[in-house]
Amino acid sequence: MTLQSIVLATSLVLMMLIAAIFISAIRAASRPASAPPSEKSRSALIWGLLAIGVLVSVVSLNPYPHSITADGKLAETVNVTGYQWYWELDRDSVPLDVPVVFNAHAGDVTHGFGVTNAEGRMLFQTQAIPGYINKVEYVFTEPGTYQIVCLEYCGLAHHDMRSEFTVASGT
Amino acid sequence: MATVTAAMSHQSEFEPQAGAVKFTMLLAGLVLLLMMLAGITMRAAQADLISVDPTLFYQLLTVHGAGMVGLAGLTGGAIYWYFCGRYVPLLPGVYWTFLALFLLGVALILGAIFIGDFAAAWTFLFPLPAMSQGVWGPNAAAAFLLGYVSIGVAFLLLHLEVGRKLIAGYGGISGALGWPLAFGRGASEDAPPPTVIAAMATTIFNAIGIVVGAAVLLSSIVNLYVPAFAVDALLAKNMIFFFGHVFINASIYMAVIAVYEIVPEYTGTPWKSSRAFALAWTAVLLFVLAVYPHHLLQDMVMPPWMLVMGQVVSYLSGIPLLAVTAFSLIVYLRKADAMRWDLTAALLVLGVVGWSVGSIPAIIDGVISVNEVMHNTQWVPGHFHTYLLLGEIAMSFGFMMWLVRPTGEAATSGLSWVAYYAYLGGGTGFVLMFLIGGAVSVPRRWAVHLPQWFLQDRLATLFALFAIAGATVFVLRFAAGLGRRAER
Repeated sequence: MTLQSIVLATSLVLMMLIAAIFISAIRAASRPASAPPSEKSRSALIWGLLAIGVLVSVVSLNPYPHSITADGKLAETVNVTGYQWYWELDRDSVPLDVPVVFNAHAGDVTHGFGVTNAEGRMLFQTQAIPGYINKVEYVFTEPGTYQIVCLEYCGLAHHDMRSEFTVASGT
Repeated sequence: MATVTAAMSHQSEFEPQAGAVKFTMLLAGLVLLLMMLAGITMRAAQADLISVDPTLFYQLLTVHGAGMVGLAGLTGGAIYWYFCGRYVPLLPGVYWTFLALFLLGVALILGAIFIGDFAAAWTFLFPLPAMSQGVWGPNAAAAFLLGYVSIGVAFLLLHLEVGRKLIAGYGGISGALGWPLAFGRGASEDAPPPTVIAAMATTIFNAIGIVVGAAVLLSSIVNLYVPAFAVDALLAKNMIFFFGHVFINASIYMAVIAVYEIVPEYTGTPWKSSRAFALAWTAVLLFVLAVYPHHLLQDMVMPPWMLVMGQVVSYLSGIPLLAVTAFSLIVYLRKADAMRWDLTAALLVLGVVGWSVGSIPAIIDGVISVNEVMHNTQWVPGHFHTYLLLGEIAMSFGFMMWLVRPTGEAATSGLSWVAYYAYLGGGTGFVLMFLIGGAVSVPRRWAVHLPQWFLQDRLATLFALFAIAGATVFVLRFAAGLGRRAER
């Protein structure tokens, strides 16, 4: 199960649940009046949603998802710069099973640096914005060729702004 | 029932600028159909069913985005003005000025795109308007940005007129927001009606958003002609997304006023300003202003506390919607005694369902670690099309049908119900294809798609046909209704 498929399944289940609750109320509206949910149910819903929110926040924010864990001297780094409409990388191969830090720059307008695997599944991304360096860390566990795509609309050849790099052991 | 009857008789004797509002909604309906055609053209091009040059594709992308956001604002603004006019006297000249400035903005935007070849998307992310690689010039970019300024000024006028009248009529900002009920010992009977509370909150946050938007728009215009006047790209992005997020949210929050005002005519129970309602709208006011960093979750240079705030407030924003607006609608529907369904009621209820359902993928995308793989994929248009196409636009259609409602007990025709289910089914399938596209990492805003994405692109095109067919019937029915009323 990929993160994307979990997200899709969770979303669809919750969306259908809300739709089902409404459909039930819509059907009830056509019939003689029935007992509506009480104000206690509303309070329970609010407190329940708050409790779920606290739990989700604590779990998903600890550790902070954008933290860079690799030691500055030991980390493998790649400087990547987006231009209209190409990517420039200072290396075209990175090692396997070690943290790789991508420093994303922009040479003109804002671009979105996204990396997908051989199946086209998004692994991570960051924005490349003029005047700033966004850092993102990732550990590749599969050797192979990885695609770079642009994920921020940057002008008329935005969709052509693709590139690739390789991941190999012992690079 | 007594209160509802009183409200209805009040409404019949005082329909504030009904003609101007009907004209607005007719205009909005026609523009909606054109924007939908732009949208289906893009999906068909991505599906490789037709050939569209990328230059034209990105022009269509720009006009579709700006057009649909403007349209949501226009319809929401018309609903807000119409129903606020039931409670406070509003100056008619302000509405006509609003409409004139709005249309001036539309003309500037259309000219910029189709004469000047401007195609920097509706988000005009700095410094893209100034860096087109020779595709468009500074004058086209300036025309587009000035078009936004004109529309912004139009809304500011609308909000200032409504805001000052609500403040004067309901004991200041705190009174109009229902704070005596929310935080004091005020009684529900003494609280302002839901429309007033919703309108006061929307007035405050949209006015703030527009002022911030005007600042970044004017800075971007100066930069076009004086490049040395550079704007910090990250600051500009913060301001653009603050303005954009607040504006589109304000559109939905203004449109929901139609639900508060019209649904009670069907359920027989007035929509009351309870303590939970007043508290919810104060929460909405704060959340709408604080949540925008969820658009910048992939800008790691942003202060972490802001991104954490974006994630947390994104989640919290769902609570007033689900536990107050959606929950209350369910209560009123269940209390209804053999309610009579027609197109108005069905579309207004669909609007709240679509808005509620669409909040789920939006909230999930607001989780930073999810956003890292979903941001700027088709997941994003997937969630916002859910709460706009099946939410705000459905509410606006409901309002339109109500404006031309037949007198007496005339039943909704079979064709209208076919159109309703075509809109509902087509819209649901259309947004589902976007969500699936996001889950398989299809980037948003690509003029050319890879062959492995064609299946969902083609299905989306098919579903869009049904949604457009339904919308066309609604607009024609509205136009015919206006004609019938004019004859009488």
